Amino acid sequence: MRDHALLHVNGVAREVRGRDAFMMLAEWLRKELGLPGTKIVCAEGDCGACTVLRAFDPPGSSFPEAPFEAMNSCIAIVAAMDGAHVVTVEGMESEGELAPAQAAMRRCHGSQCGFCTPGFVMALSGMVEQHAGEPIDRRVAANHLTGNLCRCTGYEPILEAACSLRTSEAHRVGPRYGTLDRRARARSAMESGFEVEHDGLRFAAPTSLEEACGFAAANPGFRVVGASTDLGVPINKGRPMPETLLSLHLIPEMYEARADDSRVSVGARVPLSRLRHLCADAAPEFARFLDLFASPQIKNVATLVGNIATGSPIGDTLPFLLVAGGAVGVASLGEGDGGLKRREIPMTELYRGYRQLSLAPGELITHVTFDRLGSDRFLRLYKVSQRKDLDISTVSAAFSVKLDRAGGGGAVGVSAARLALGGVAATPIRLPAVEEAIVGTLDAARIESLAELVAGSIRPLSDVRGSAAYRSVLAANLFRRFGRELLDG
Amino acid sequence: MADRPTEAPREGATVLPDPGSEPHDSSRTHVTGRSEYVDDRPLMRGELVCGLVYSPYARARLVKLDLTAACAVPGVACAITAADVARNAWGSIFVEQPILVEQEAQHAGEVVAVLAAESREALAKALRRVHAEWEELPAIRTIDEAIAAASFIGVERTIARGDATAALAAAPHRLSGTLVIEAADHFYLESHAAVAYPRADGPIEVHSSTQHPTETQHVVADALGLPFHEVVCIARRLGGGFGGKETQAAPIAALAALVAKRTGRPARLVLSKDDDMIVTGKRNPFQIRYEVGFDGAGMLLALDAQLHSDGGAYADLSTAIMERALLHCDNAYFVPNVRVRGQVCRTNHHPHTAFRGFGGPKGVALIESIIEDVARTVGCDALDVRRRNVYRPGHDVTHFGQKIEDNCLPALFESLESRCEYRARREAIRSSNAAGTGPLRGLSMTAVKFGIAFTTRFLNQANALVNVHRDGTVQVSTGAVEMGQGVNTRIAAIVAERFGIAIDAVRVMTTSTEKNANTSPTAASAGTDLNGAAAAKACEAITRRLGHLANHLRGLPADRWPSRTAGLGTAPEFVVPEGPPPSPVRFERGAVIVEADGGDAFEIPLPRLLGEAYLSRISICDYGHFATPNLGFDKEKGQGRAFLYFSQGVAASEVEIDRRTGEVKVRRVDLLMDLGRPVNHALDMGQVTGGFVQGMGWVTTEHLFYDDHGLLVSHSPSTYKIPSVQDTPRIFNTDLVFNERNTANIRGTKASGEPPLLLSLSVWTAIRDAVMSERERLRGELELVPIAIPATAERILRAIERETFAAIEAR
Repeated sequence: MRDHALLHVNGVAREVRGRDAFMMLAEWLRKELGLPGTKIVCAEGDCGACTVLRAFDPPGSSFPEAPFEAMNSCIAIVAAMDGAHVVTVEGMESEGELAPAQAAMRRCHGSQCGFCTPGFVMALSGMVEQHAGEPIDRRVAANHLTGNLCRCTGYEPILEAACSLRTSEAHRVGPRYGTLDRRARARSAMESGFEVEHDGLRFAAPTSLEEACGFAAANPGFRVVGASTDLGVPINKGRPMPETLLSLHLIPEMYEARADDSRVSVGARVPLSRLRHLCADAAPEFARFLDLFASPQIKNVATLVGNIATGSPIGDTLPFLLVAGGAVGVASLGEGDGGLKRREIPMTELYRGYRQLSLAPGELITHVTFDRLGSDRFLRLYKVSQRKDLDISTVSAAFSVKLDRAGGGGAVGVSAARLALGGVAATPIRLPAVEEAIVGTLDAARIESLAELVAGSIRPLSDVRGSAAYRSVLAANLFRRFGRELLDG
Repeated sequence: MADRPTEAPREGATVLPDPGSEPHDSSRTHVTGRSEYVDDRPLMRGELVCGLVYSPYARARLVKLDLTAACAVPGVACAITAADVARNAWGSIFVEQPILVEQEAQHAGEVVAVLAAESREALAKALRRVHAEWEELPAIRTIDEAIAAASFIGVERTIARGDATAALAAAPHRLSGTLVIEAADHFYLESHAAVAYPRADGPIEVHSSTQHPTETQHVVADALGLPFHEVVCIARRLGGGFGGKETQAAPIAALAALVAKRTGRPARLVLSKDDDMIVTGKRNPFQIRYEVGFDGAGMLLALDAQLHSDGGAYADLSTAIMERALLHCDNAYFVPNVRVRGQVCRTNHHPHTAFRGFGGPKGVALIESIIEDVARTVGCDALDVRRRNVYRPGHDVTHFGQKIEDNCLPALFESLESRCEYRARREAIRSSNAAGTGPLRGLSMTAVKFGIAFTTRFLNQANALVNVHRDGTVQVSTGAVEMGQGVNTRIAAIVAERFGIAIDAVRVMTTSTEKNANTSPTAASAGTDLNGAAAAKACEAITRRLGHLANHLRGLPADRWPSRTAGLGTAPEFVVPEGPPPSPVRFERGAVIVEADGGDAFEIPLPRLLGEAYLSRISICDYGHFATPNLGFDKEKGQGRAFLYFSQGVAASEVEIDRRTGEVKVRRVDLLMDLGRPVNHALDMGQVTGGFVQGMGWVTTEHLFYDDHGLLVSHSPSTYKIPSVQDTPRIFNTDLVFNERNTANIRGTKASGEPPLLLSLSVWTAIRDAVMSERERLRGELELVPIAIPATAERILRAIERETFAAIEAR
């Protein structure tokens, strides 16, 4: 058992204990390590000014060298970075030479006030790690920069800088920082669990699910911490940190992700970016949808299980899971013999209310599963938000129907349907009345009347993202859009 | 004293800069993370971190503030309340705003106490233990409520020409309406920040993210009860300002300084983005009632408009912002009969303040929106109506009586119309919209004619200190604050040009009130105009003296030069006479050249001449003061020469609207501006694209949402949506015209900071164009649809599906 978390920062190993372990990574880098290049603006993972690169070899994995990927450091708890290698903007120069992203930003006037610049440099560097040697077009560049806000430049010079990058393998920082000795040191450290404490706070990271469930049973008020992309926000905004934190990052099983002929199964620690690759074949509509929400910085660390466990009514993935037969796998310590007790909870039964999950005390979510939708299923996922990208939905929708005969003559036959909406109630909901009514032959006129039924089946609230009426109109209009796409095949 | 050899010319100093696109002087440290902002300053031993306690209600009486439990948290050093403030009132125009609430908060987010602790954890714990009891009082939340209660700030201002009332009565067509423009947050990336260092042996030193170091110095001194010379305010650079740090940085700095003075320890107050957005004011909301008269060809005959703005709880700069709105109600168009009246309302919102454009965008929104409606009413294309009404020879005097010199507007319209293929695209959009399926499109071209100068005359002054060193390098200090706009780079270019040296031989020093006092804010797009001109004046004083010396040296045998004689005192000392040097002198390529009168030109390396000057006891440093000439605007009469010149431009925007959701994409923007003869082309282009996209956010997605108590809910980027990289126009063509005719300003430049933002209104008018075509298609008749700014997706869908929303909301 270790008494510290181990991470590397710009090539230097850091054993972290005490107060430092419970700080947010950005704050720790700036104030404790004297690396103020990383900026903090929103402290909620929405602006990218705090972007750093992170490489992490999961324990027990046989992956090739883990890539350095962009992440937000403002909402990451230092202890949870155990095993990772972090590179900050200060680590990008090599022997006095600017890194390609730095030189391009300078050459193309990509920085004005400079405050967002380190974050953009790091996001661009994350792109270089992934695309070294390839030409960069605006679409690729923009996708890598979705998580970075700039208020001065209007982004044009930054996109120009990105597209001007001519890189080769030699420009990646991976080989420079992710050396064998450092990775070996991290791997060997991760073979044992650790616990750190400070001022009434406790952070535990066991190496087996049994130990984790034991911890959960013994510490009723515990919170599981993953990438803390949700948990980190209220802490930064003045709420106290939960006193007991449990991290599953040392448990190899949590990194499992697989798809068989009928089901996809995703472990609790699988980041969304990896899930997206898995879904490219197994759930293409979901993969496309994953491109639309959250930033690379978030998707490189945040998980599907995390999205489910926070229980937000507007969790972007939840309507999909509701229509795709989603279920969470949970584990707890069995009676007596101390073995594991596992069960599955269907998504439709998971939420009891606003951010309330129907988990028994001591239960941990280990993975989530959902259906691979067959070719007889027609699925569409939509989200509407104030801003197209990186914005929480006003309304999100997942509509799926089972077709019983091919379209033609402006009509299709529907034998079953699963329809779900997010953002219109305290939890994501299914629309049973519409699901029932939709069965049969569907044409333009019936779509119109069903759209009215959709609007009539919900009682949304007004809030910062839109009025109740807007949500009702959106829900109906998204259904109309679905109907149109269905009829058009 | 032994003779000292003259320094050799500095290597590289003879290479002239590329005048067009020198990178920002901080670009290298920006990209490496080494540029230091206030909160990047290393922590000093014993330094305290500060946090704010503020009212959660728009208006409330402080019944009880119990800080005992908060102060008992280990590590908490002190709490500061109103009783600790020596002079608890400040304000740029009206001194009326408290630094800390005494008994009654006038807006949600008004600060009532500051806590200081040794760690962030202790501070957070202490803030959670503050016990404040408030009695919520009735509040004024809207402009209408303020009007009903006659709750105003300052007096109503009027600008008038001709007889608007009579001309309206006689006009063949009239339209009237109300335009609603909401607030917008600056969303500079660096939130307000200050660190104050108490010095036992000198003045208190305040590092502040301020656009106005002088005012910050004064407010800090007043709050602490100190004379001005006991406070130094330093502003190295800002992580964005956009007007939001013109006034509102001062009380933040004062709060940090109060803690420092009380405890004798360094004190740092860095607002979280949430607190920054809740506490500080925004762009003023406006509500404009108007009536316009025009003829069948769309020629504008009369405009009568009543502008009301929401000033928030305190005056701040709102009255000056209203004046600029009134001065821009004409924008690019000649209106023979005008009456525009403006009144600032006092409400219980955060005190609204300067924001890029400073009222100008509201006036421009009004007239550009009116033109769209006039065009639809008379059945013409809006561009034709604009081109008919644009200022032109014979019709080139504004409603405030200033003649527009160097009027580029007709040419800009003509040029952009063909460059952007306006007519062909208009036709394509007309036919695609008529189909009623697929995305809905809109197209609109608007203009900007932005007056450059502070409308308050005394602010149009600046000073600069130019220290030339004997190796031919220069340090310049001004009151200008660098916040991304590149003012330091431009000043360096101006100074480098004056001395004929490379731009990297000039360093613009940290802005500090100990070097430049009584300065104006870096605002009104005039940072380079004023401070660059002051620096140029200081340079000219130095180059005049150096010119005389060079003339003198030309006729002097080398063994009589000061470098050979000064140490020994063997030759008389040269005294610089009045007036210009006898023979003209040029400063080029690191050398000084005296023009030959028929003979050979005399050339001496600048460092050598500087050495000779020093040895001759000739000052090679100077201080310049600049006051913009020829300004005279009478605010009470509403007439006069308000501006030195006008920055002008046009932009055409095409938008695509999702009919089902109201979401907008900006498909294409073509933008053309006249910025005179830029000091730095690349920096100006940066201002243009950046200003435009910033304005796009204001007119589309940036929506401030307050709760029922008046507290801002959308106080972070998760709820307040500035444009992201995905929101930039799909096609974005920007260009500057070549114009060397602007003689009014330093080096023939034109200011570029604010004007481009106003062109983003073309996105809003294009949205209205799309929505109005759709309504006309759906109903088969003309419908003029007002859409407030910002035109959010919800507002757009409401405008398109008005009947659906009405039915749902009637349920």
